[in-house]
Amino acid sequence: MSDRPERTQSTTLASATLGQRVRVVGARLEGDVAAWIAAVGLHEGEEVVVLRRAILGGPLHVRTASGGEFAVAQEIAACLDVVEVAS
Amino acid sequence: MSAAADAVPGRGGDAKKPTVALIGRPNSGKSSLYNLVTGGNARVGNYPGITVDVLEADVTLPSGTPVKVADLPGLYSVEATVAQDTDEGVARRFLETLRSGQEDFLVVQVVDPTRLALGLRLTRELAAAKLPLLLVLTHEDVLRSEGRAVDTERLSSELGVPVILVDARDRNAKARVLASVDDRLRERERAAGRATFDPADVAHRVVREVSTTREVERRRRLTERLDAVLLHPVVGPFLFVGLMALVFAAVFLVADPVTSLFDELVGLARSGLDRALGEGLLASFIADGVLGGAGTVLAFMPQIVILTVALELLEASGYLARGAFLVDRLLRLLGLSGRSFLPLLMGHACAVPAIASTRVIRDPRERLTTILVLPLMTCSARLPTYGLVIQAFFSERSALFRACLFVGLYFSGILAGLLASWVLRHTATKGKGLPLVLEMPAYRVPQARVVMRKAYTVSKRFLRDVGTTIVIASAILWVLLEIPMPGKTPADDAPPIEASVAATIGQAVEPVTRPAGFDWRINVGLIGSFGARELMVATLGVVYGIEDAEDDAAPLAEKLAEAKRPDGTPLYGARTGLALLAFFVLACQCMSTVAAIRRETGGWRWPAFVVAYTYGVGWLAAVAVYQLGGALGVR
Repeated sequence: MSDRPERTQSTTLASATLGQRVRVVGARLEGDVAAWIAAVGLHEGEEVVVLRRAILGGPLHVRTASGGEFAVAQEIAACLDVVEVAS
Repeated sequence: MSAAADAVPGRGGDAKKPTVALIGRPNSGKSSLYNLVTGGNARVGNYPGITVDVLEADVTLPSGTPVKVADLPGLYSVEATVAQDTDEGVARRFLETLRSGQEDFLVVQVVDPTRLALGLRLTRELAAAKLPLLLVLTHEDVLRSEGRAVDTERLSSELGVPVILVDARDRNAKARVLASVDDRLRERERAAGRATFDPADVAHRVVREVSTTREVERRRRLTERLDAVLLHPVVGPFLFVGLMALVFAAVFLVADPVTSLFDELVGLARSGLDRALGEGLLASFIADGVLGGAGTVLAFMPQIVILTVALELLEASGYLARGAFLVDRLLRLLGLSGRSFLPLLMGHACAVPAIASTRVIRDPRERLTTILVLPLMTCSARLPTYGLVIQAFFSERSALFRACLFVGLYFSGILAGLLASWVLRHTATKGKGLPLVLEMPAYRVPQARVVMRKAYTVSKRFLRDVGTTIVIASAILWVLLEIPMPGKTPADDAPPIEASVAATIGQAVEPVTRPAGFDWRINVGLIGSFGARELMVATLGVVYGIEDAEDDAAPLAEKLAEAKRPDGTPLYGARTGLALLAFFVLACQCMSTVAAIRRETGGWRWPAFVVAYTYGVGWLAAVAVYQLGGALGVR
């Protein structure tokens, strides 16, 4: 994981701005769903950058520090707590 | 190849043959590696408790040891809870079957080194499950082109399992992979590997930059630049719709000449049979009942193959995941997600493989909903009937009108499917869904051999599942049309078919179908198309005494347009045609689809539901169209 300092105020991935680097600090999801999403690549501690948003409240296109890119529905993104990582 | 039953661990001659299971995350390069080590050979394995297809092939290792190589569906985790009948569930059960069996086995995890940390999360779980592992990093070529390298020795030492890096497109890599499998299988004590490492940390330590030239930077940015256009909020959706339209247009343009060639070949075979067997019931049964059915199957093969190739090219290139991203919001409104997009798209070729492809959908309710609405997508089997009706009742209209009607029928199927999804998600499949989380693979040039293998597998399944049903339905239909109803003789001037079993049934259901404008002749066509809607045109051809109507529908269209009642008024009009089209858009006239739904849902409840709701809604729509047409003065 990165040694970069991070701001501690928590928000959600859904409200992150384009290009903002954030770190996943928690998931307010059912256990099974949270475990599966973590296995897919959006796990606690992972750094994420929002690349774009689909129109009309569609999914977010994000890239993780592990090299994966994902389409994440707004509903899921709204349940992923993140903190900003200072660049 | 041995029989599929021999592939069951613990049975037959393969009892002591070790199994090499290829597993990995979706898009990790697993299919390319399978293709490399097996030479593209594949049979459908038969594993206890696993009712879906797992491809496997026999391979001989350098030491002379024969092994079975099985290509498992992609999975992200062996720990997270997943529904049993999804792709991930199938892969998990396969591993459990291997673990509980007596045979020797090796798990070869295929990892994309450009996303190493993600792959290593699964490695950690596999090691924790104490599975004997070999790691094969594919996409060496991509890694090199991105100016990076992996220290495989260090990675192997960190993980405690052997690791090799290959380019799965390079045929020379096969020997290295097989030698590594051989070495691993010959180890007396196969350690499972370490299960307590940080994947990101390990990946960070073993992947290093070896070049940062401008060319490397350009390649790295390729996906980013393509996404900027293809996923653009405004341009992206337009390009997407245009691309899909292009794919479908190309499918029909390319398939048409091949279908004509098949028609001619079947026609030649029928002529030969006629000459060899002469006239008579047996000759008619073989030529019209059996060979006619086989001809119908062949007529659809080119479209199925070409659409499969087109979709596989789009998927392997990485574009289909982008399509799912673009349509997710729309599908969410209807209770589905972007994951349903691929099955719904495939349903426009044939619902049978599309129903099998719903295994990529992780949410059980969403998967069931997708299965239940797939029969409403306009599969290619509906097209001959659409063509016949348009030719019969709208030939005097402008080409633009007919084209719009045709496109409208396609969109009616999509609209009906979306509406049905919405209704089902608020009733029968009500419940909280799992919103989209989908990996977006990097753009890649598809590998021809992998695409062709997929096309071969889908074609084989189509021939096995759909082809058999059509041939059987065609043979049964021949009997119903040719055999007279006991105790019934046709009037002197009436064709013998009026006394057939099918005609008698058609006449008996007239009170139900009359409000939709269908008389007993159309009813006979509907009976004929109950097993497979492809048979509608040929059946109406028999009713109207037109030979080979499925090859040239023009004479039949003319007969339908000119058919008169005894009082001289037209028997059918445009509103009959529209009512028939409405019925065909909605009714699930396909026993292969019904069988596929039964297989995927594990019982008869949902297939019965699909038949009931699609026929019920189809009848209602046909009646509404016919009656409304009458009220508006349409003939």
